[in-house]
Amino acid sequence: MILLQLILNAFSLGSFYALVALGFALIFGVTHAFNLAHGEMILLSGYLAYILGKQLQLPFVWTLPACMLFLLLVAVLLHELLGRVKEPYELNTLVVTFGLALVLQNGMLICFSADYRMIHSSASPFEFSTLHLILTQTQITLLSTSLLATISVYILLRKSFLGKALRATIQDREAARLAGINVGRMSVIAFAVGGVLIGLAGPLYARTAYLHPYGGIEATLIAIIITIFAGVGRIRGILLGGWALGIAESLAAYALGIGWRELVSALLLITLLLLRPEGIIPRRMRQS
Amino acid sequence: MVSKTTTHAAVLFSIILLFLVLWPAVLNDASIYYRVMTMAFFYGALAFTWNLHALTGSISLGHAAFFGLGAYGSALLNYYTQTSPYVTILFGGATGALYGFFWNITFDKLRGARLALATLASVEIPKVIIDNWDSFTFGSMGLVGINTFPALRFGSFVVAPGESLRAQYYLLLSFMLLIGLLHWQVIRSRWGWAIRAVREDETAASMLGVNTTGARWWALLLSAFLTGLCGAIYAHLIGLIEPSLVFSLHISALPLVLTIFGGRYQYYGPLLGSLILYPLDQLLLHSLIPVGHAIIYGLVIIFTLLFLPQGIGAWLQQRIRAV
Repeated sequence: MILLQLILNAFSLGSFYALVALGFALIFGVTHAFNLAHGEMILLSGYLAYILGKQLQLPFVWTLPACMLFLLLVAVLLHELLGRVKEPYELNTLVVTFGLALVLQNGMLICFSADYRMIHSSASPFEFSTLHLILTQTQITLLSTSLLATISVYILLRKSFLGKALRATIQDREAARLAGINVGRMSVIAFAVGGVLIGLAGPLYARTAYLHPYGGIEATLIAIIITIFAGVGRIRGILLGGWALGIAESLAAYALGIGWRELVSALLLITLLLLRPEGIIPRRMRQS
Repeated sequence: MVSKTTTHAAVLFSIILLFLVLWPAVLNDASIYYRVMTMAFFYGALAFTWNLHALTGSISLGHAAFFGLGAYGSALLNYYTQTSPYVTILFGGATGALYGFFWNITFDKLRGARLALATLASVEIPKVIIDNWDSFTFGSMGLVGINTFPALRFGSFVVAPGESLRAQYYLLLSFMLLIGLLHWQVIRSRWGWAIRAVREDETAASMLGVNTTGARWWALLLSAFLTGLCGAIYAHLIGLIEPSLVFSLHISALPLVLTIFGGRYQYYGPLLGSLILYPLDQLLLHSLIPVGHAIIYGLVIIFTLLFLPQGIGAWLQQRIRAV
């Protein structure tokens, strides 16, 4: 039965990873901006939720909209900043957001110190005694939020007119521009929606793992891995990628020990970069 | 025009150098000055070695891998065999170069942002292995009490970098100048032209008969060797290393920030960046904001890329030319 518990934990972890990756995937897909400060932005949102919960005694659910709104603003500001970057765009956004990551890291160090922080859940877990299975409230929140967020983004991209324009921009910027799509506005929208998703991921991060100003890089790498794995603009693939990564990491941690977990994501990223270069370059979607 | 600029630069350079060599003699209690400037020279050397690779147009976010491997290679060899640190640092450099060789093989096809991402991830591999190999590397506890450089005797003249801050200061100054000279010679050489041709347009360069693969490979190998050497020197200078310290993002970021700020395309760019930024950070900001003072490096890199993409060196050069 320990196996069942492991699978459950892996899926909950994977759902969390998918949530972490969604914002990155959307922003990168539409604008080709490599946001290396992605993880730091999630941490920022997590710290905000922590402060709101601690200082204002706000219930956890109410911190979510506040964080989403705040990160929306941050992401739109980031869009303004990256709009001034010169060619080559991808590499330069990478270096600028690397600088931003350093700024946010040290800013959070100044504001929140290097102590480990976490939003603890007081709710008692569900126990299925016949199966020896424990399902915590946090895991339920993770699974449901991740599914909900993925489905919302999927519907936004697939079923709305705006989504059509966004997908067209993902597929081919120039062609989209020729078709009369305001590509600049699509970029702002991508950053805004991406910011909302980052804002959503933050409080859940604080619920799942310890917040530490230096922890952002790991989240960024996870987001990049899943984005490449899924292929740009493929929302369902992100959920699959998140689960796959969650399972791979859980397996590695189970078989080798918890210390080797970070190696899995690093090796996966390198392998994906080498073997799936097309994952990172947008390609035509064959179905539809 | 060019010769005038060159003379200006040469005069400026001599003044700075003279100042750096003579200034300690004037100071009474110079220990803080020695400490800060020694590390400024150290990071200057690191920035030069980073730029040897960056001259090919690639941005590396993972030089901490070479640095950490160099530090561990040298410290462990010294620990287990008691060989003199002056010898083991070369082994540290070789360890870095070996990893650079694997980089070359593995990342041969990657360019631009994808290469930068791969380099970022590649730091984790040696870090996690050293972190978990407790019996050999002492794991996350790190190595403590590493032997410092023993004193050298030249007749009655004794140089003791293990004890004297002044000796460290002058040794690191000469080390940085040596690496800077190498960096300058690389830029001036035929190979340097090949490297820059690769940076501008790799396809065109190879059409013109430039051995582009060779130019890139040797640039990375040299850079990896020297970064490993820097890591090894760091280990014996500080006397303590641990995986989270020598494989940290900070080690990868600092040479990048210093070089891009100083000017990636000038032979003196890395030097300029390290002499301005590092003392500013340590002497001014460190006392103002004890925790998180490294925020300046992030701000500087954003500012530089947005407003002075060629670096402050090129900006100064334009100013001088305009005078």
